[in-house]
Amino acid sequence: MGADVSDLSLVRRVQRGDKGAFDALVLKYQHKLVKLVMRYVRNPAEAEDIAQEAFIKAYRALPQFRGDSAFYTWLYRIAINTAKNAVVSRDRSPIEYNLDRSSDESYDMQGRMKDSETPEGLVLTDEIRSIVNGAIDALPEDLRTAIVLRELEGLSYEEIAATMDCPVGTVRSRIFRAREAIDLRLREVFEGGLGRAEELG
Amino acid sequence: MPRAMRSSEKLAVAALAWALTGAALADPPAQKVVPEAAAHPQKTSPLDTPAHWLERMNQALTTRNYDGTFSHWQGGRVEMLRIIHRVQDGTVSERLASLDGSGREFIRTGASLACYLPDKRTVVVEQRPQQESLVGFPALTDTATSFYDIREVARMRLNRRDTHVITVAPRDEYRYGYRLWIDDSTAMPLKTQLCDAHGHVIEQVVFASLTLSPHIPDSAFKPDVSTEGYQWLRNGTGPRAAAAAAPAWYALRLPPGFRMTVRSAQRLPGAPGPVDHLVFTDGVASVSVFVEQQSRPVTEQGAVAEWSTVGSSSAFSTVVDGHKVTAVGEVPPDTVRFIATQVKAQDTDPAALRRR
Amino acid sequence: MNEELESQLSAMFDDELSAAECELLARRLSRDEQLKARWGRYAVIGATIRAERGVRLHAALARKVNTAILAEPALGVSGAPQRALRSGLRWRQAVAGLAVAAGVAAVSVFWLRAEAPLAVAPLTAQLALPVQAFGTTQTAGTTVPARADSYVLPRAPASRPVVVPVTELANYVVAHSMVSSPVARRNLLSAFMTSDPGAAGTEEPLEVATSNAQ
Repeated sequence: MGADVSDLSLVRRVQRGDKGAFDALVLKYQHKLVKLVMRYVRNPAEAEDIAQEAFIKAYRALPQFRGDSAFYTWLYRIAINTAKNAVVSRDRSPIEYNLDRSSDESYDMQGRMKDSETPEGLVLTDEIRSIVNGAIDALPEDLRTAIVLRELEGLSYEEIAATMDCPVGTVRSRIFRAREAIDLRLREVFEGGLGRAEELG
Repeated sequence: MPRAMRSSEKLAVAALAWALTGAALADPPAQKVVPEAAAHPQKTSPLDTPAHWLERMNQALTTRNYDGTFSHWQGGRVEMLRIIHRVQDGTVSERLASLDGSGREFIRTGASLACYLPDKRTVVVEQRPQQESLVGFPALTDTATSFYDIREVARMRLNRRDTHVITVAPRDEYRYGYRLWIDDSTAMPLKTQLCDAHGHVIEQVVFASLTLSPHIPDSAFKPDVSTEGYQWLRNGTGPRAAAAAAPAWYALRLPPGFRMTVRSAQRLPGAPGPVDHLVFTDGVASVSVFVEQQSRPVTEQGAVAEWSTVGSSSAFSTVVDGHKVTAVGEVPPDTVRFIATQVKAQDTDPAALRRR
Repeated sequence: MNEELESQLSAMFDDELSAAECELLARRLSRDEQLKARWGRYAVIGATIRAERGVRLHAALARKVNTAILAEPALGVSGAPQRALRSGLRWRQAVAGLAVAAGVAAVSVFWLRAEAPLAVAPLTAQLALPVQAFGTTQTAGTTVPARADSYVLPRAPASRPVVVPVTELANYVVAHSMVSSPVARRNLLSAFMTSDPGAAGTEEPLEVATSNAQ
């Protein structure tokens, strides 16, 4: 466990031609990557574009990935490089100045304001966050502690076991059950119904 | 699968509408620093001298609210940073954060400064008197024009903004120069270059995004890092009390155009004792000299003379009469060395205080 | 799907599954859309707990990447010898080199460490390590004729030993920044804020003159 085994198993599949495995890696890291890129560009749509480019670059460069570093570390650096190039490069026009709204100049305010930080991305996050937080609040304390220690503090199962004074197997079970409970709520709200029967198919 | 987008779309439209009407909202009084010329951008007036543009730029940087990201090029490397600055009810808050992995942040809220150094798992905190924020800030005097050639060399479009390109060229090698692309409408420096006496670029900052907002929330000044397990270094209280006992320091000689503008005593975080802080400026560049009040035992003196650079700024340390003296400034290395080695303790002669 | 499978998925997501089980599950994950969707939702949950911005449940990003990847040639068997990516430090330095015009070495001595391209020199603030001399000791601005408005990259300043305790100079830098002009201040603090994480080395103890919190 640990030592990047999970990512490497997917990476190796991708290196052997399994594109679906890359999809799994994207699903796992897209949020982290977008968050990282948004330090460079405030426009969420552009951040996603850059993240997309970074993923594609990573895919192309995957044959050279030898596991010297963790996969995410490697991916992270590609993303930084991509973001920097996007911002500094002269070929694009990434520069967006929202300096003086009373300025005489007629720049495309519609296009810019729409992409500013306040709407869409945050609103959707709020909805998701309230559902997830609500679900977490409703969890029994041991499940809640386990998932928070894992996701927020980044502790390993062993570290959590030490913290909670229980076996590692119990940690794994608690985290799993916490995720199940939260996932249930997510699916309820966003998929309009449980559909658990087909999930279990 | 249905997705709860409708309400968010409505909110997006509402947010856009709000943003567009933002112009109608009055700026808080602290931001109303609008010299006449700015009200009529097309009209040139006698006030639009290059020196005046520099002053307006400094005003904008210190009094407006803004949030931007910029690239910082220096020593062959580029880093991205974010800067947020707000003046509210007379209190300055600012935050400067590295966007590139180091995660370092500098946050000032009112009188409190904090440096978050995640790579060192350390936070350095100091309390400073608020009024010091603008003290020592060099006003452009006639002296400055003797030692710098300040002129507007062009009007340029920079990323669809109308800018004045102002050069501040040093007349000797004691100092560095600047090229500044100053936005005509807001006087913000969209691009700046630091150059040596021969015009070679040493450092460059270019804004990639910049927003001047009427309101920046307090949450914008919270650090990104979690300081769990960090060590905290703070300065002690009573910064002024120690000054009385120590000898006053002064500089025997200074590079042409430099004069002392500030003298204070401080306790710095993690430092063994109080430190005298002298500031010398030529109207554009500043050099600080820090003198440890406590003299060091001879055995403790490691390297006698220490050079360092912090980006394009230079620092030089030496020991004078058993006191460690460190000079820091945005000037060439030889200039800080010169100033540091000229610092002497004044014993009893009050006239010496008035000499520089 | 059964509970055991989902439990394994959860463990694999946390990198807490054995290598053998990972191999099997990875294979299933890559082709099972429902399992993958659940996996994706695990990521959403984590991101939301960490209060990350821009979290979307049905992100278009993953779809777009997937579409793009499908159009790419499948990667071959990793038998061909490839230049391996080195450790983080060198990779980052190689990347940083892209920003430098050809033929100019990065020579600025950042005060936290001695910068030595290609050599993984450990940072020890306590040692008086002389900086790698990059061939020349000429001081700045000596021989090249002046060219106004030129974009010539600067030559190396003379190299110097760097022996400064971290906290001390940090204090001075911050204190000086309070009395600099706004532009100089911003530049100074920017330089102070940036560093190369690989070289700085988090395993290095921070030298402190006195005890911690006062």
